Amino acid sequence: MEISPDAWVLYEWRGLQLNATIVFTWAVMALLVIGSRAVTARLSEGETVSRWQVALEVIVSTIRDQIAEVGADTPGRYLPFIGTLFLFIATANLLSVVPGYQPPTGSLSTTVALALCVLIAVPLFSIGDRGLVAYLRTYVQPTPLMLPFNLVAEVSRTIALAVRLYGNVMSGTVIVGILISVAPFFFPVVMQVLGLLTGLIQAYIFAILAMVYIGSASRTRHRADAPPPTDTGE
Amino acid sequence: MQIDWLTVAAQIVNFLVLVWLLQRFLYRPITEAMARREARIETRLSEAREARSEVETEARRLREKQDELEASRDEMLREARLEADDLRAALENDLRKEMEDRRKTWEHHLEEERDAVAARLRQRAGHQVIDIVGRVLRDYAGTDIAGQVAGTFAERLADLDAEARERLSDAARRAGGRARVESGVPLEPSARSRITRAIHDRIAPDIEVTYGEDDTLLIGVRLTIGEQTVEWSATRFLDRLETTLDEVIESGGGPRSRRAPVTG
Repeated sequence: MEISPDAWVLYEWRGLQLNATIVFTWAVMALLVIGSRAVTARLSEGETVSRWQVALEVIVSTIRDQIAEVGADTPGRYLPFIGTLFLFIATANLLSVVPGYQPPTGSLSTTVALALCVLIAVPLFSIGDRGLVAYLRTYVQPTPLMLPFNLVAEVSRTIALAVRLYGNVMSGTVIVGILISVAPFFFPVVMQVLGLLTGLIQAYIFAILAMVYIGSASRTRHRADAPPPTDTGE
Repeated sequence: MQIDWLTVAAQIVNFLVLVWLLQRFLYRPITEAMARREARIETRLSEAREARSEVETEARRLREKQDELEASRDEMLREARLEADDLRAALENDLRKEMEDRRKTWEHHLEEERDAVAARLRQRAGHQVIDIVGRVLRDYAGTDIAGQVAGTFAERLADLDAEARERLSDAARRAGGRARVESGVPLEPSARSRITRAIHDRIAPDIEVTYGEDDTLLIGVRLTIGEQTVEWSATRFLDRLETTLDEVIESGGGPRSRRAPVTG
C-alpha cells in the first residue's frame, strides 16, 4: 500500500521522475489560479457583485483579519505568503474527496518544502523589517549562551510544522484505506467527512503558525526579551 | 516515509510560483477592488451626508419661508379685511350722503312748489281781498278805496309817537325838505291833499311832497323821506295771510323750515 504520492511515478525522463505529488500540486495550482483569474477578470466595484467575487472577497478579507489578529501591523505585507499557504493546503486537502486524487500534502516532501519556505520566510520578513544585524542579534539574546537553543528552536519548529501536516493528511488517507478493507460501506464516508474537516483545520493551523512565527520574530524588535512563541500543535 | 529532495525542491518552486500567481491574480485585484469600493462607498456616503445636510438646510429655509408666507398671508388678510371695512364704511357714507342730498333736493323742490302755490294763492287772495275791500268800501262808505287808504294813512301819521316824528323831520332836513308818497292805486287830489296836510302837520310844514304809484303795494301808501320810510299797505295783511297759509300748508305737507314772518 502506497502511503506517499511520491512513489507514484507518472513519467520518467533521463532519471527525472514526474511523480503524482508534483502533478497534483500543479492541478491544485491550476485550479486556484484559473479560478482566481476567472473571477478577478470581471471584478465589479459597484453595488452588484457576483457571488464568486463575494466568496473570494470573504476569503481574502478573512485571511487578512486573521493575520491582523495574530499581531501584524500591516497584514497586506504577509497576505500573499500566508494566504497562499492556507489556500494551497486547504484546496489540496479538500480535493481528497475526488476519486483517484492523492493530496500532495500527504507527501512528506511537500510538507517539508512548505516548512522550509516558512523557515526561510521568517528571517526574510524579519530582516526586511529591521535589517540583517538586528535579526542576527536576536539569536544571542538574552545571552550568547542561548545561541544553540535558538538554533535548535528554529530547526525543530520547521520539522514540527512539516511532520504535523504530513502526519495528519497521510493518516487520514491511511485510515480510509484501512477502513475500506474492514468496513467498506459506511465508515469510509464518515472518515472522508472527518478528513475534510481535519484538512481544513490543518491548513488553518499551518498558516496561523507560520504567521505566529513571522510575527513573533518581528515583534522582538520591540521586545527583545520576549519569550519565544510556544508551539500550539494539536 | 521518505523525503524526495528533488520533489521538495520542485514543491518549493511550485509554491513560490503559486505565491506570485495568486498575488497577481487574486490578492492584489481583490484587495484593490475592495479598497476602491470602500473609497467609493465612503465618497458616496460623504456625498449623501452633504446632500442630506443641504436638503436639511433647504428644508429649514423652505419652512421659514412658509412661515413667513403664512404670516404675510394673515397680515394681508387682515389688511384686506380692514380695507374692505373701510370701503364698506365709505360706500355707506356715500350712500347716506347721496340719500341725504336727494332728500334735500326733494325737500327743496317741494318747498319751491309750495312757495309757488303760496305765491299764486297770495296773489289771487290779494286781488280777491282788494276787490272785496274796494267793493265793501264803495258800497258802505260812499267813497273809493284810495280815499280810505289816504285817510287811514293820515291817521297813522297822526298816531306816530314823538320819537318817530323827530326821526322823520331830521330825515326831511337832511333830504332838503323833500318827501315822496307812493300808493298802490292812483290817489284822488283830495286824498293827496289830505296826506300832504297830515305830513305838514305832523312832521314839518315846509316839506315838498311828490306822488307816485307802486303796484307791489296793492292797497296802501308808503312815505319815503330820505332813508326813513313809513308804510301802511295791504301787502302787510297779505304777508300775514301768507304766514297763515304757510302754517296751513305745513300742517298738511309735513315738517319744513319755518319762514321768518315779515314785519312792518
